Amino acid sequence: MNTTEKIKVLYIDDEQNNLNGFKATFRFDYSVLIASTTEMASEILANNPDIHIILCDQRMPDKTGVQFFEEIRSIYPDPIRMLITGYTDIESVIDAINRGHIFRYIKKPWTDADVKSAIEEGNKFYLTSSLLSIKNSELQSAYDELGKFAYSVTHDLRGPLLSLLGALEIAKSTENTTELREIHDMMGESIKKLDEFIRNIHEYYNLKRGRLMYEAIDFNTIVGDTAALFKIAGIMDNIRFSVQVNQKDVFLSDEISLKIILNNLLSNAFKYQRKGATDKFVEVTIDANSESATIFVKDNGIGIHENHIKNIFTMFYRATSEETGSGFGLYNVKDALNKLKGDVEVISTVNVGTTFKLTIPGKPNGSN
Amino acid sequence: MVATRKQHFIVIDDSKLDCFIAEKVIRNTGKCESVRSFLQATEALEFIKSNIAEQPTPNIILVDIQMPVMNGFEFVDAFEQLPAEITKNYKIYVISSSINDVDLNRVHNYSSVIQFLNKPLTSNNLSLLLTKDHM
Repeated sequence: MNTTEKIKVLYIDDEQNNLNGFKATFRFDYSVLIASTTEMASEILANNPDIHIILCDQRMPDKTGVQFFEEIRSIYPDPIRMLITGYTDIESVIDAINRGHIFRYIKKPWTDADVKSAIEEGNKFYLTSSLLSIKNSELQSAYDELGKFAYSVTHDLRGPLLSLLGALEIAKSTENTTELREIHDMMGESIKKLDEFIRNIHEYYNLKRGRLMYEAIDFNTIVGDTAALFKIAGIMDNIRFSVQVNQKDVFLSDEISLKIILNNLLSNAFKYQRKGATDKFVEVTIDANSESATIFVKDNGIGIHENHIKNIFTMFYRATSEETGSGFGLYNVKDALNKLKGDVEVISTVNVGTTFKLTIPGKPNGSN
Repeated sequence: MVATRKQHFIVIDDSKLDCFIAEKVIRNTGKCESVRSFLQATEALEFIKSNIAEQPTPNIILVDIQMPVMNGFEFVDAFEQLPAEITKNYKIYVISSSINDVDLNRVHNYSSVIQFLNKPLTSNNLSLLLTKDHM
């Protein structure tokens, strides 16, 4: 029997007979919790954050149902509150409803149909408002990101442009060709930085808006394609690059997300090498079967200080001023991993190297 | 007297190109005794702490805002904690591409910061600053 789909209802009444009757009547339709005192009810609420509906008798020995609801409202704002009461209490009930404490009242003696329709409607209201609060928090985080974006765009787009402007100004008054070439090289770096930032924004957008497209993944091809780009750009020069793929069965995943992940991790591994080191290496090891893929990206580069490791996946966070970086790459890696429900571990020692270990579940064959 | 005393400069910027530009522009003013560039603010701070020798010659610090590890504001915070016999020998100018109001207003809160300068640094705005400077 599938109990997870049932609406969780808490019924509070000091008459044990009423509690028993309620539970007997509704236990097949709902997941029913009962409490004979308000203390017991508070305890149940604390242990069951997934209660959707609370029904409470108005005439409890220590306090009225309305008082109880007023007390718990600020601690448990989400569950829908309903009062069960006889006609004699109607004035206080009307007052409570008008003040917004109570979604519905059910008159005593209740009929099964009344209670059922109240619970169903209350649950609809619960689902709508919780959906609304989820959407609200999504909206809030989108606004927050937009704020960060606006700030970062002024710096990350404007910064390299202003550097170019300054360099042009200096170049105008420079006669020495060696120095001119040096200035040109630095201007080239500035342009690359700008381009990298723009490509990262594009990746970010793809990840945020794109839907996952599951297909059979060939890791050899993905790593090969990614490495080829670095090779052309001359980024891999003097770095020993080795790839080992052990892929047993079909691994279903989203190729674009995987490429973004590998591209960023490899780019960092090649970029943050120790200057002047003689035996630079980057190693990729992938073990994949139909259930999961484990990916290691290991380098012997500059490493990441332990104080920074917890922040490296934060947007725009940069742990070093060695080399140019946008503070976007690892954020995108984490974002892509989240979409794939994957996980990442980072092991790093300064001046020894860094290993990223990724675990990504494969999509089970045939499911959606 | 304005032009007679030459000054020491410290440039702190995570962009190599911006350090290069600043060095060039500073040297071109002809009012510079030395220029030191730091890509990391932490290193600049260490240098300032240990550098008693060049004092009391005037020292000018040009510091960028957005930098990894220690940003410009964190640098100024740390600088202001140093003993007065060190800090009194430095004048800090914040130089940034930022057009963010929060950043600009924040600069005013630091007593050790003389002024905010927009990037890129040019000989014009640097010369202006040096003549205005009463040192």
